[in-house]
Order: sequence, then C-alpha cells, then structure tokens
Amino acid sequence: MSDPRVERLAELIVGYSLELGPGQLVRIEGSTVAEPLAAALYAAALRRGAHPYVDLAVEGLAEHLVAHGSDEQLAHVSPTEWNAVELLDALVVLWADENTRSFGQADPDRHQRYVAARRQVTNRFYERVAAGEARWCGTLMPTNGHAQDAEMSLADYERFVYDACHVSGDGDPAEHWEGLASSLAARAEQLDAVRELRVVGPDTDLMLVVEGRTWIAADGRLNMPDGEVFTSPVETATRGEIRFTFPAIFKGREVEDVRLRFEDGRVVASEASRGLSHLRAMLEMDDAASLLGEVAFGLNYEIDRFTRNILFDEKIGGTMHFALGSGFPEAGGRKQSGLHWDMICDLRADGEVYADGELIWRAGQFLADPQPASARVR
Amino acid sequence: VSDKRLERLADVLVGYSTKVRPGDRVSIETSTLGVPLAREVYRAVLEAGGHPETRITPPQLRELLFSEATDEQLDWLNPVALADVEHLDVRIVVEAFANTRAHSQVDPARHARRSRASGPILERILERAAAGELRWVLTLLPTTASAQEAEMSLAEYEDFVYAAGFLDRDDPVQEWETFAATLERLAGFLGARRTLRVIGADTDLTLDVGGRTWVPGSGGENFPDGEVFTGPVETSAEGTIRFSFPAIFGGREVDDVRLTFQGGKVVEVRAARGQAFLEEMLALDEGASRLGEFAFGMNDAVRQFTRNILFDEKLGGTVHLALGASYPESGGVNKSGLHWDMICDLREGSEVTADGEVVYRDGRFLPGVLD
Repeated sequence: MSDPRVERLAELIVGYSLELGPGQLVRIEGSTVAEPLAAALYAAALRRGAHPYVDLAVEGLAEHLVAHGSDEQLAHVSPTEWNAVELLDALVVLWADENTRSFGQADPDRHQRYVAARRQVTNRFYERVAAGEARWCGTLMPTNGHAQDAEMSLADYERFVYDACHVSGDGDPAEHWEGLASSLAARAEQLDAVRELRVVGPDTDLMLVVEGRTWIAADGRLNMPDGEVFTSPVETATRGEIRFTFPAIFKGREVEDVRLRFEDGRVVASEASRGLSHLRAMLEMDDAASLLGEVAFGLNYEIDRFTRNILFDEKIGGTMHFALGSGFPEAGGRKQSGLHWDMICDLRADGEVYADGELIWRAGQFLADPQPASARVR
Repeated sequence: VSDKRLERLADVLVGYSTKVRPGDRVSIETSTLGVPLAREVYRAVLEAGGHPETRITPPQLRELLFSEATDEQLDWLNPVALADVEHLDVRIVVEAFANTRAHSQVDPARHARRSRASGPILERILERAAAGELRWVLTLLPTTASAQEAEMSLAEYEDFVYAAGFLDRDDPVQEWETFAATLERLAGFLGARRTLRVIGADTDLTLDVGGRTWVPGSGGENFPDGEVFTGPVETSAEGTIRFSFPAIFGGREVDDVRLTFQGGKVVEVRAARGQAFLEEMLALDEGASRLGEFAFGMNDAVRQFTRNILFDEKLGGTVHLALGASYPESGGVNKSGLHWDMICDLREGSEVTADGEVVYRDGRFLPGVLD
C-alpha cells in the first residue's frame, strides 16, 4: 500500500526543492530501505520531464568493506562516481538507516579513510552546487532505526517526519514552504542589520558579534524538512557562557549537559556530565575547533522534540544552535576546521535574545514578525 | 537463516564464472529483491581482491518508466550508465523478479522504443566482451514470482535452481570444471560433422553445420549453464519440427508450434494458440524466419520446463532452435531484431544423426561421443 505522504514528499522535493525541469539528469540515492520514496521520486521526476535514475546502497556492505577490505579497496573510488558528479544536474540524497550505529564497532582510522576517499567525490559535487551548476536536496525516509533513535514507534516517527515536512495534511506543501521561505528571508534580512547578539537563558549568557556577516535562510531547498536562519559569527568576539540542555552528538557519540565558556571567541572552559573526554578531544582537533562557526535560530515549529538526528534537531522551533568548528564562507565565515559540531540550546521555556540591546526573542519566539529592511524603509 | 547455497553461488560466480582478479572493477546489478545474493557476491569479490560496486534499483522502475515517460524520455540513454560499461572489468547481473508479467500490458511499441534506446549500451558490452576486455555473467535469484512462473513453491524452486547450478554438491567448482571438459569434447566432436538430422514426434529436420563453430556454454556467461550451440548454415534447414514446450517471447506464449523449412526459411507455420503473434514475429525482418542457433541442452539437473529461458534451453535431453539473430562466435551470419529460442523435447522416441550416423537417442548422446 502506498503512503500518500510519500508521494507528496516526492512531489515537493522535485518541484519546490529542486525545481527539476525537462531534460535534467537527476540521481536518487539512498539505501534499499528507501525504496518506496526512491520510486515515488523517480515517477515524480519523470512527470517533470527530467531523466531520473536510482542507485540504492545495501546497508552492511560499506561496514563489511571497512572491516575486511585491503588498504587499496578502502581507498578505491569508482570512476563511475567521478563521472556522475560531473554530469548530474541534481542529486537527491535519501537518508534511511536501518541501523544508525552500524559503524559503532568499526576501526575509527579505517572508517575515516573510507569516508575521506569518498568525500573527495562529494566535495567536487558540492563545488558544482556552490557554482550554481547543480542542485541537491537531502531528506529522510523514516525507518525503525531512526525511530529508535527518536525513542518512538515507526508509525509515530513517520507522523513526526511528515508533519515536519508539511506533507501530512490536505494543503499544498509547496505553498507552505514558499510562505515560510519568504518569512525566513525577511528574518534573515532583518538580522543582517544586527551588530551584536546576546543570548540569555538558564546558566547561559553569551555575547556574539555578527556584524558584517550574512544571515542565510534555510528554506527547504537543500534539506527537507528545513526551517532555520543561520550565520557564522565573528570568530574572535564570542564571550560568556552557554549550557546545552540537549545531548550534543558527534559521530554517534553523545555528550550530555555541555557547558562552555568563551573568551575572545575561543572556548576556554568546558564541562559535561558525560562524555567530557570526547568533547575535549574534539575541541583540540585543530585551531578552529574551539571557535564558533555557526549561530542559528531553529524555526520549524512542527519539530517540537529532540530526536537525535541533526536534520531535525537543529530546526526545532524555539531553539538556537551553535556549531564549533568550520564556518560557512557564504555567510562570511573565515575559519575552516575538521569539525562542525552543532549543539542545540533549548530556549523555549525561558530564553531571551537581545539584538544590539533590544529584546527580540523570548521563550522560543521572535517578538515581532520579520520586517525586512526594505519594508522598514518604506 | 542464511542459505549455504547462496554463499556457494556467489563463490562460483566470482571464482569460476568471471574469475575475478585483484584490482578488477566489478559491478553487481540487480533489483532490491536480489540483495541477499548481492551481499554474498560483494563479499566474494572483496575476498578476491576486486572492487565491488552495486547497482541496485527498485523493481518497479521499469513499469514507472513505461507508464510515465514521454517518447523523449523513453529514447534517452543515461550517460552515466554508458560510461559505466567502459570502465568495468566484470559485470555480475542477477535477475530477481518481483513480477515476471509486470510489463504484459505495456504497448509493444513503447517496449521496442526503449529497447532501441538502450541498444548502444548492450552493443558496447558485447563488443568489450568479444575483445576480452569485459567478463559478464547472468544468473537468477529465486523469488516467488519466478517460482510462480515455474508452478512451484518457493522452496521447491530454490531446490531446482540451486541443483541446476550443482550448488547442492560438495565442490560445485570442481563439478563445473568436469562438466566444462565434457561440453568441450562434445563441441569438438560436433565441429567435425557436416549434416545433422533430428528425428522425433512429428519432427524430421536436416541442418548443415559444416564449417560452423560449436560453442560450449559451461557457466561463463550464463549461470547455471549447460548447452552446446552453433549457428547452422542459414540456407540449409529442410523439413519439419514440432516443439513440445510452449514457445515464449516477451512474456507471450505460443503453444504447440510446428515449423516447416525449405532452403533454410520457414515456409509453413502452425500453432495451437498464438499463431498470429508467431506469424507477426516471423515477419519482423528478413532474418526472423531463418535459424540463428541450433543447440543441445545438456544440463541433466534441469529436468522440467520452468518458463525461464536461462533454465529451459539447458534442459538435459532437449534441443533448441532460435529464429533470428545468430551469435557471431558460432560462425552464424544471420541478422535480425529477433532471437527466439524454441525448445524441443527429445527425451522419448527420438534420434539425431550426424553425417548419417546415429549419435544421439532419446535425449542422450550414445556411448563414445562424450567419453
């Protein structure tokens, strides 16, 4: 039996997110558990006149390669992959893990080499995306593995995911996302005028400088679901303290109740109730790993809980997130790191945010609708 | 529980059929139903030092293409797939059907259009294979759809398929090597003969095979396998043949086909069911009414007709003839868009003579031929 939400999600991605047109070459990739969504995307892409093809990975094979492959086999990347990234007009990535911890016992060095070899190919594709030559969208197909991480039944998790993508109801999902996109764009434009942000909450009082940086609206084009505005703060200016109420997860390892103190942009003190050594090891990875690369407002209010998946967690309506490590060049970020670790701070109960001294956000909501600079001038 | 036979099948495909060597780039192509075998083949390729790459698609994509695509989309050839066949050293293709009749309602013209479009990929595969640059093998993973086609339970069908590949025996590779040597000897024996005459129920057909090459099918490109085939001289077929098994093409069955040849060409056609379709196919082009292949089915572990040509044409004790295109490696020169294998059961009341001498009776070569 086909799930109408899957069909609607497929239509939303090929139409709204990727704007696929006649003659475009699009690859739909994921694992074999993503088959229903992959097939729906294939049909939806055909209906838009595009040329889709599907490539599904078998879960367990990469794990087998990492465990048993020779050095040469680990490093091998298919010429077909190199060829494909040059030819694709669009790529849909379906995250669908039956087991989100399947690399839990893998040798970290071997796993890292496997990932690094393939990252060259994906980086080349992202270069083409950044140059406007190709588009991509990442989304998730609900599986028991992801539901288990979220501590939900599969049926409940499906509801959660499809609600977050706004494909559950009768309305036109694209219309919803277009509306959200314009309000996020207006919010980003308004934040562009801000020099300094102050975030106040339980055990939290953090000052960030965002002057001269660009706020970017994440509006469902690159990720589905989506819903945040983000920038890269001035790397040397962050000062104060922050406490993260949700677990901070990196490479499947959880660190609980993280507290960080910043001076001149850099973490100078770190505490955690569990996983502190992992946290500190990551902070020492390289020079930029203890600087903030991102500050963002989560604005998808259909995402109302933590589910141990950053695709959703960073967009929880009423939260902010801060990433240690790499910044975004397109936002004006100047530092690169091997780390980009998003940590989420729940501000829904009693958080406050001040922009240049003026209160703009309380208890998980902006106080005023976004007024873009152009509108204010008028 | 894992089926030991699946592991053996993978080992035979990788170690015997395609002989994967270190550094070989190997594609594993199947539908999502073929995943259990794809896993085993991936493991075996990795153990052999190759670089396995899976190409796995949902089985329903073809139906979706036929139902949704415009002509322009049907004509399109994926440049990624076209480049793919250029760099591979080995292709392992696993048929794993969800529904063997999923395309029965598709307009044949759309089908033909799609086949024409993907022609260049097929041509490059055959060219590179002929040049020794690419090895490939086609096999099948038992599914309920194929079992249904064979009118068996899945467990019975699995037993049938794995027995046909000798995978129920202790050392399948050894068995295949022995069998290959037998088929090689048979090919040598037949290669020295000029005229074959097949005599059976309502059948008396004479063919000239002088100067043509007999090719043993011993598990290299099909698995399972077990036949020896050639391309008979295109103008030589004389007489009549009656095919006891249904003749199937593109999912359509024609029952009780009888053909009469003169000067190599079909001059009379009769069928109990599907005669119009048969006549339509024979009129497809000039070569469609001539023989492109004559072969002996030699796999005695295949004992019944299962409506899948991969198995049916290897049925021990049968011969098959194909109307249409011949295989160049057999020396045949017939060209056609058709290659339709039809199978004639010779296990009872039959004889084959070679240059006047009886060499085969009731489905078996006489003692001396194979030893």
